[in-house]
Amino acid sequence: MQFLLLIYENEEVYGGPDKSGPALKAISGRHMSLVKELGPVRLAGAGLKGTALATTVRTTNGKQAIHDGPFAETKEQLGGYYLIEAPDLDAAIAVAKKVPLTKDGAIEIRPVIVPPAQP
Amino acid sequence: MSEAALENVMRQAGGRIVAALAARFRDLDIAEEAFAEACAQAAEAWPAQGMPRDASAWLYRVGEHRALDALRKQRTRERLAPDPPDPEPSAEDAMVDDARLIPDERLRLIFVCCHPAVAVEARAALTLRLVCGLSVAEIARAFLLSEPALSQRLLRAKRKIAEAGVPFEVPGPELWTERLQAVISTLEVAYAKAHEDAAGTGPRAGYATEMLELTRVLGEMLPAEPEALALAAMVRYAEARRPARLDARGVMVPLSEQDPALWRRPMIAEADAYLESASALRAPGPRVLQAAVHGVWCARRGLDEPPPWPKVLALYDALLAQRDDPIVRLNRAVALAEVKGAKAALSEVDGLSSDTLKSFLPYHAVRADLLRRLGRSAEARAAYDDAIALEPTSAERLWLTSRRESA
Repeated sequence: MQFLLLIYENEEVYGGPDKSGPALKAISGRHMSLVKELGPVRLAGAGLKGTALATTVRTTNGKQAIHDGPFAETKEQLGGYYLIEAPDLDAAIAVAKKVPLTKDGAIEIRPVIVPPAQP
Repeated sequence: MSEAALENVMRQAGGRIVAALAARFRDLDIAEEAFAEACAQAAEAWPAQGMPRDASAWLYRVGEHRALDALRKQRTRERLAPDPPDPEPSAEDAMVDDARLIPDERLRLIFVCCHPAVAVEARAALTLRLVCGLSVAEIARAFLLSEPALSQRLLRAKRKIAEAGVPFEVPGPELWTERLQAVISTLEVAYAKAHEDAAGTGPRAGYATEMLELTRVLGEMLPAEPEALALAAMVRYAEARRPARLDARGVMVPLSEQDPALWRRPMIAEADAYLESASALRAPGPRVLQAAVHGVWCARRGLDEPPPWPKVLALYDALLAQRDDPIVRLNRAVALAEVKGAKAALSEVDGLSSDTLKSFLPYHAVRADLLRRLGRSAEARAAYDDAIALEPTSAERLWLTSRRESA
């Protein structure tokens, strides 16, 4: 079986939406060692930039609309994810609009933190 | 060279320069800061050396260098190999006039500022800041926000644009409808703020002028979009009437009592041309109908000509068929009162949900006027009080107060 582990915590501790504060540096070492420990058990994973940088494509009665901000409803639950490569937000929105929903719902788009290039 | 002359150049060319820098470097902060540094440098150099022949080209070039410097520093900070320095501009470059040197990227910048991923409440302010070059203080005043609150809002929006991957492009035709709506409603909000100030003196008068320019750019670049043309028409009709909006004592003059002889005819002619092009494109949508209401009013030549109420009512009927919302119904009721009488209009207004309209000043002003005409003085005065409590501009307050006294 495969499982998705979702990390929920107060994003404030990371010091801003791009998570550039010292907390991320401090915790990434711990992530690294977990990745090492898990070996082939871990298939993929990444950090996300904060919800201030989120964009949501919401579908209501078949109509799609784009909003600034994260998904903020409690009626619907997270049911899956796509990790995509796209040149910019418009391209990501275009993909998000294609993601099928049985009825109403929302696709939240979050930029993934790319680890800094090694010198 | 006076400070005013420098300010003038910065105002007129600022949006274009910031837009060109932002499009080139794909970074709003770098563009904004580079332009600010170029202006600071101009403030030092120009009084001593005299103003350059092409001031905006000078500012653009200096801004370009500052932006490159900033990027270099940023790269060094990130310990990446620094880029080789750019060649100094040649004498030939210096001869090119700014129209060719500075590409007009304002439309691109407008689409960036009005991207649906940017918070709705930040879009108009961001557009005014970056595309029109208004100061934070001016925008804060127009939006009734404190400067720190506005700065925060702008900062958040710029950060979102920079880090969420908002592209620096005019979107392709498949996204046209969705994106153009965001742009047009943002500009509408921006203009509404400029228009609220009937006196139009001080910084905000210049801001209305910026809106003329911005809607002209939009109309020029999107000549087949009726809504864009309608917006350009609407802004012109409204600005054309500015000289007649106040009487000698600074009291607001309602549209039907304004002396058409004071209206700026050339601007009305321009607006008519925009409206005509917009109407020729396809069956008129809501904005074209709204512009047409302005057009019908501005066709009035003098106070001896009867006000065009029946035409206005017919246009609002058409508008209502397309967009049934309380504001349209309220505006329609004003015309209805003139055509069918105050009683019919009041029953229409009282049928509207007061919950959604209770913080909307015109709702109380319209109700008050109708009650006054029907001789229901006490109720009229109470409605005037409700309107006055919503902090109208001084011109409007004077007008409401004088009407209240006659109720």
